[in-house]
Amino acid sequence: MNTKLNATIAQCKAELLRTIRNKRFVFFSVVMPVAFFFLFTSTMDSGAKINGTDWATYYLMSMTVYGVVGAGLTSFAQRISRERSQGWIRMLKITPLPPGSYILSKVVAQGLINLAIVLLMFIIGGFGKGIHLSSTIWIESGLWIWIGGFSFMALGTLLGSIKNADAVQVLALMVYMGLSILGGLWFPSASMSSTMQTIAEFTPTYQLGHGAWNLVGGTAIDWNGALILAAYVIVFMLLSTYIMKKQEAI
Amino acid sequence: MKKLAIQLEHVTKEYKGKKAVDDLSLNVESGTVVALLGPNGAGKTTTISMILGLQLPTSGKVKLLGEDPRDIKVRNRIGAMLQDVSVIDNLKVAETINLFRNYYSNPLSLEQLLHISGLETEMNKMAISLSGGQQRRLGFALAVAGDPEIIFLDEPTVGMDITSRQLFWETIRTMAGRGRTVVLTTHYLDEADNVADRIVVINNGKLVADGTPSEIKAGTTGRVISFTAGASVTTETLQAVPGVANVEWSGRRVKLASSDTDRLIVALIEKNIDMCDIEIKSGGLEDAFQALVQNTNELKGAV
Repeated sequence: MNTKLNATIAQCKAELLRTIRNKRFVFFSVVMPVAFFFLFTSTMDSGAKINGTDWATYYLMSMTVYGVVGAGLTSFAQRISRERSQGWIRMLKITPLPPGSYILSKVVAQGLINLAIVLLMFIIGGFGKGIHLSSTIWIESGLWIWIGGFSFMALGTLLGSIKNADAVQVLALMVYMGLSILGGLWFPSASMSSTMQTIAEFTPTYQLGHGAWNLVGGTAIDWNGALILAAYVIVFMLLSTYIMKKQEAI
Repeated sequence: MKKLAIQLEHVTKEYKGKKAVDDLSLNVESGTVVALLGPNGAGKTTTISMILGLQLPTSGKVKLLGEDPRDIKVRNRIGAMLQDVSVIDNLKVAETINLFRNYYSNPLSLEQLLHISGLETEMNKMAISLSGGQQRRLGFALAVAGDPEIIFLDEPTVGMDITSRQLFWETIRTMAGRGRTVVLTTHYLDEADNVADRIVVINNGKLVADGTPSEIKAGTTGRVISFTAGASVTTETLQAVPGVANVEWSGRRVKLASSDTDRLIVALIEKNIDMCDIEIKSGGLEDAFQALVQNTNELKGAV
């Protein structure tokens, strides 16, 4: 029993180390959101109102979501793909590490990474940019992004089910950029045409952002958005399970 | 009676109607070093995959240490170096080894593992930056991290340089000396010859020969007598000796192959053949192996 716990903790630590050492992760999930946040809140009037809140607060939420989405899509997806295509899964299967521990350590590690991104962005926003929110709203919006962020782990798993790690890298980046721009993380979707806005509302990125924007704007938790995100998780998980099962059958 | 480490009973594995492994039965006792030989596509890797529980047989039974190979308790007692497994990215050598050590209940120490893989000076390097041979040695360290009772080595020395290989086989011999069971496949037949105490030859998914290296060699090409011949000796005088099939010269050195070298040497002495520096050796495993594979292929063609 003890071995099992040790194995899971060791696996978790290894996942964390591998993520932090991944340059792509550091660039897309840490450097880029921080830089964008400072850039677009300095060039624009950060006191301007949008969605019932000021621009800096709104954009802090956008960039936090952007960082969390990036963690799931860029480093996580590629890690899954690599592990499957380079024989590590086969290697792990003959060790006493239980399959459940392997999955659990992935979820826990990614959860910790996402939490760190949220905390980092909020600290930068609060202290670096002097954003004031009540502690309830900080916690609510932080938890929303953190929990909602797991849906992008599911999307990352789906992308990672493709065995060519290089293709996954390119595809994940395209999906990441596409969903971020379309979902209004870079620029608010309010600035888009009405057709684009309708499309935007279907993206998981918009839904994750929307919930956070609502919370900082003083609206209650968006359960509708939560439902849409949950539906996405189910679809992503079903699809990736189906694809992986099919690959194994060959 | 010794305990059985591996039991295969009438194991067949089909892929899309094609039999990769065909009614294979095999028992391996604990403490033996078994080499699985066969040409490419003979079914070696499929057999090992089934023994490890990575694939299920289409029919037949596979037992590892008397249990289902997929049992976690069994996995704690085995280790394997598989083909086509790369190293884990963004982890250092020592970190990778420690990760695997944590999977097992009685792991070897990091120092021991670094020592037997010869990676002491590379311990703080990123695993991915190692050379091909070093990556294979890291794979070996991972395979033995849990101090396994059975070690599976699928083409372990591919990509290793000569020094790496020597260190590697030395370690395997030490492990075998400690009563560990070793199952290996290799393309280098001299390696199998040197290290294995049992050789199992597989062709077209079927077992075609099974025995000690000298039995396998003797059963096919027999042994070789070589000596330096005196001036009076010619091919004709040698061929007059009963039991001589063909004569191979290199300078004044003569090589005679025979299935019964004991009788041949007596005959040579009786005929007063002028010989010095006499050597009697087994024919190469390479020749034996080629002959076996060819024979079974011809048989298959005839059927």
